[in-house]
Amino acid sequence: MSEQIISRPPLPKKPFNPTPVWLSAWLALMWVIVFDLELSFETLLYGVQDIFEYLSRYSTPNFEDLSRYIELLAQTLATALWGSALAFVVAVVLAPFAARNLTPNPFAYRVARELLNFMRAMPDLLLALIFVAALGLGPLPGALALGVHTAGFLGKFFAESFERVDGGVYEALSATGASRMQVVMYAGWPSIQREALGYVLYIFDRNVRMASVLGLVGAGGIGLALHDTLRMFNYDQSAALIIVILVTILIIDYLSTWLRGKLN
Amino acid sequence: MSSSKLCWPTPNGLPALMPTVVLAVSILLLVMSASSVELNLVRLFNAIPRMFDFAGNLFVTPDWEYLPTLGTNMLQTMEMTFLATSIALVISLPLGVMAAKNASPHPAIFHATRNLLTMMRALPELVWALVFVSAVGLGPLPGIMALSFVTIGFMGKFFAESIEVVDSRQVEGVVAHGASWLQLRTFAHFPQAFPDFVGTVMYILDHNLRAAAILGLVGAGGIGFDLVMAMRMFDYGRLLPIAISIYVVVTLLDRASDKFRRRLI
Repeated sequence: MSEQIISRPPLPKKPFNPTPVWLSAWLALMWVIVFDLELSFETLLYGVQDIFEYLSRYSTPNFEDLSRYIELLAQTLATALWGSALAFVVAVVLAPFAARNLTPNPFAYRVARELLNFMRAMPDLLLALIFVAALGLGPLPGALALGVHTAGFLGKFFAESFERVDGGVYEALSATGASRMQVVMYAGWPSIQREALGYVLYIFDRNVRMASVLGLVGAGGIGLALHDTLRMFNYDQSAALIIVILVTILIIDYLSTWLRGKLN
Repeated sequence: MSSSKLCWPTPNGLPALMPTVVLAVSILLLVMSASSVELNLVRLFNAIPRMFDFAGNLFVTPDWEYLPTLGTNMLQTMEMTFLATSIALVISLPLGVMAAKNASPHPAIFHATRNLLTMMRALPELVWALVFVSAVGLGPLPGIMALSFVTIGFMGKFFAESIEVVDSRQVEGVVAHGASWLQLRTFAHFPQAFPDFVGTVMYILDHNLRAAAILGLVGAGGIGFDLVMAMRMFDYGRLLPIAISIYVVVTLLDRASDKFRRRLI
């Protein structure tokens, strides 16, 4: 028996497992960051009681101004809706140019891609600040800012969906003599309509969240009211506003999940 | 050549029902809400020259002395992003397992975690940042807290969804070897969902960077404070470098995460 064991060939060397190396590098980086940002966990621990005391101030929401909140909320939703519609229109125009397999020429592809990328990279609050400076206060600059920013996302999503469509679908249509425009209209959009609708829902969802804070820079909606009440330490009203926003966003979240489930 | 009338490529030649209904409802909603957003074409047209004015103002000599501060603040923004994403990652892994239908220890825990995650991601970062700034004071700490709080909600949900679509046959295979509860999740669910996890983390990193860039607006650290200040004081010499640096950093991460995801999937 023992001879057999000895005569067995040696086991191959265990492959090198890089996980611990990556993990320690990650932890080291985290440590450096904590040090650099001068975060102190003592303060955090010390502050935990304070935080609970602080959060307890929100425990008595005051719904006296509910009708005004609902009005502001409607404005917020309208801002998000118009922003999404603007984003949709811009994205529908740009997406075919930004899809590698539908673009008329490489130059148009580059331009469309860079344009979408630029719109995506500009934070919507910065855009809102700019539009507020140009248009004055109100929800309109907010809707424009949301539209420009999310057009970048939506256009990119659409373009990527176009690129994933089986090339044969496009080929079949161009083989019947369809122009590029017709290929986009009758092969491109019908192939991605479910996905596209899902993306639009996602963007609307996101825009409602963002619209509720755009008020901070004077772009209308419920955010300004929240900001004011927090600045004036009106915790009861802040709590009511947070609850109103929370409930709305939850309803929209469930609705869009339900709709997306129906689509698939 | 063709004598047929122009018509839609459907059996009856009419536009398809569903898209028409969706379009009609959206247009109706838009028209109804037009007054609410104070849509005014005259105002829009009047704003165009002002936009050009603004664009013209942007081209001034950058404020060179400000650049080192810009670098520090941008670095702070990136550090906040990284730290918040890491914290959220560590916390949302177990939550994701508990919120996945096929990996949750108990249906009650599944529903409770799901609802918890929905609540966490409902409000935007800026609202939480406002609340946390009032609670722990100015600085990057409330920003990191707000970012990680919200992204736990997103990441937990995405993790749960990717765990739910793993192939159940491989899970059965590991069960047949007598794996324990934890072993099952580590060696059957996790490896299959891993590529999705990496994609999610890259997406969240991207999202957090964008959010971190504006959190300074409410005093929660990062470049946002300088940005808003420059905008409010019409300090164009600073505004342009700040905008460009945000653009560059966001674009670089965007490209990197796209490349990374494509290589992985």
